[in-house]
Amino acid sequence: MSLRRWTIAAAAAVLLLYGGLILSLAWFFEGAALRDAVQSERTLHAVRLSLVAATLAATLALLLAVPAAYALSRYRFRGRELVDTVLEFPIIVSPAALGAMLLIFFNNPLGEWIEDNAVQFVFSFAGIVLAQFVTVLGVAVRLLKTSFDEVPVELETVARTLGATPRHAWLTVTLPLAKRGLIAAFILAWAKALGEFGATIMVAGTMALRTETLPVAIYLRLASADIEGTVALILVLVSIGLVALYATRRLLGRTLRA
Amino acid sequence: MLEVEALAVSAGSFRLRDVSLSVAQGECHAVLGPSGSGKTTFLQAVLGVLQPTSGRIRLAGVELTRLPIEQRGLGYVPQQLGLFPHLSVRDNLSYSARARAVPASEFRPLLDRLVEATGIGSLLDRRPATLSGGERQRVGLVRALASQPRLVLLDEPFTALNESLRRELWWLLRELQREWRLTVLLITHDLAEAYFLAEQVTVLLDGRVVQQGEKAEVYGRPTAPEVARFLGVETLQPGRVLHVRDGLARVAVGSAQLTALAPYDLTDDVLVSIRGEEVILQDEGSSASSARNALPARVVSVRPGSPLVCVELDVGFPLVALITRPACEELDLRPGVKVTACVKAPSVHLVGRSAIQGRGSALA
Repeated sequence: MSLRRWTIAAAAAVLLLYGGLILSLAWFFEGAALRDAVQSERTLHAVRLSLVAATLAATLALLLAVPAAYALSRYRFRGRELVDTVLEFPIIVSPAALGAMLLIFFNNPLGEWIEDNAVQFVFSFAGIVLAQFVTVLGVAVRLLKTSFDEVPVELETVARTLGATPRHAWLTVTLPLAKRGLIAAFILAWAKALGEFGATIMVAGTMALRTETLPVAIYLRLASADIEGTVALILVLVSIGLVALYATRRLLGRTLRA
Repeated sequence: MLEVEALAVSAGSFRLRDVSLSVAQGECHAVLGPSGSGKTTFLQAVLGVLQPTSGRIRLAGVELTRLPIEQRGLGYVPQQLGLFPHLSVRDNLSYSARARAVPASEFRPLLDRLVEATGIGSLLDRRPATLSGGERQRVGLVRALASQPRLVLLDEPFTALNESLRRELWWLLRELQREWRLTVLLITHDLAEAYFLAEQVTVLLDGRVVQQGEKAEVYGRPTAPEVARFLGVETLQPGRVLHVRDGLARVAVGSAQLTALAPYDLTDDVLVSIRGEEVILQDEGSSASSARNALPARVVSVRPGSPLVCVELDVGFPLVALITRPACEELDLRPGVKVTACVKAPSVHLVGRSAIQGRGSALA
């Protein structure tokens, strides 16, 4: 078989795997269960909670990731290698372990002080956002660093010879040229945060109408052997995710063509 | 105008050492050197991207060494031109005015004159990606000049172009340089480019200045074998001075003897350098020439080139001649043919061994 055929077959296998998983839901699909799920106040709350938390977590992650990624891309400083290595930390450590570590932190004196005097994270909405933020931050930095790496340093140097301060050069040259990577990083961080389960359940728990995100709701339905309800919620999550990703891709295409 | 004094720069394991040069107002000065010679490190130090470990850079009396890039008053055209791909040509050209908040009324007349002088008026609304190589060069040049720099830094800006376009842009740059009295520092490895554009030349090798001076002097009288090799001197042979009389030296090279002008610092052992263009070939036995050196020669090989043919000869030592194609055909040159090779005494350049050993002090 030629290289072309092999590689296209591999691409088809990817589609078959994920498409097959989605299609297999049809075996337990019930229209009534989907209607009930979509109309239920608990589900709607979980959807709202998931969307708001994922958007907040992805935004906060990017606010920190953009300058951090730029520093990693452009400067040589002490500890740079270490920072570069810990970016993969959330991937190596499972989300559940990451959530457990957060929980343990908030049982330390410093964590307890934060809980008592600043923001309460454990079993709260803030905890969901924090868990998702910690999970997606590393991958956001990694993606953004690649984007900044692709912008030639020389363009910034030229901008500065033309009278731009480093900040002005960054805002008018580097950032617009890294726009594609910036949007891609946000989409990926948001999608990853939307589906985050392990860290969220550890830090925020499973309180209905309080900390129950869509993935947590799916877990709870399955734990109570409600297969049809589980399928309905999975379809809701998949639909939201795909619609959002499609919309951002369209938006991204328009922005980049503009 | 630009004065660089004893500049030393470290870039990783590479060291640029003791580089000094000066560029007068309205002059074009070329820094020549092969890859890895330190040209880019030097450029980055002048730009302010790299901080020197010692030495000083002054421009129009202002100490630049510790100034940030944007305050140095430099116009920079890098090898890849550095056009901002997300901006139109117009926005690229007016970038410096926006960055420095210069009012349009002040900036427009200058820009209009530059645009007219370089013929890029029809390109203003296009993006850099849609421009041809030559158009991109012009835009890069105009953008740098529009910032009204005190010094224009050109880093091999014509390397990626074909020969005819490159020559066209050389002419444009030379006209602009003379008309606008631009002070230019040209970084290049291209001898022809340096020769065409610059008045003064500095040759860098292994992070050090090996020769510096008027371009004709550097090109015609390399002071070290490395410089001669880099400058493309075709014949470079060890010789021994037999005697000096009336300012002329008689030198034994291989089994032949040559007459050359005796430099003031002549040593017994020398390197004899002869440019291929300086060798004249005649029919065997012909002696109708004023050249001091008429050597019986046997053709070893003939390599056609454009526009000159490279003829390798055996005259008692290997000698290379560069002659035109018609001359090659008239003499019916092919391996084994016997001819006479003539070289004038001033065209036989002797590089003293003292200059070879003490390259650090070999400044013109």
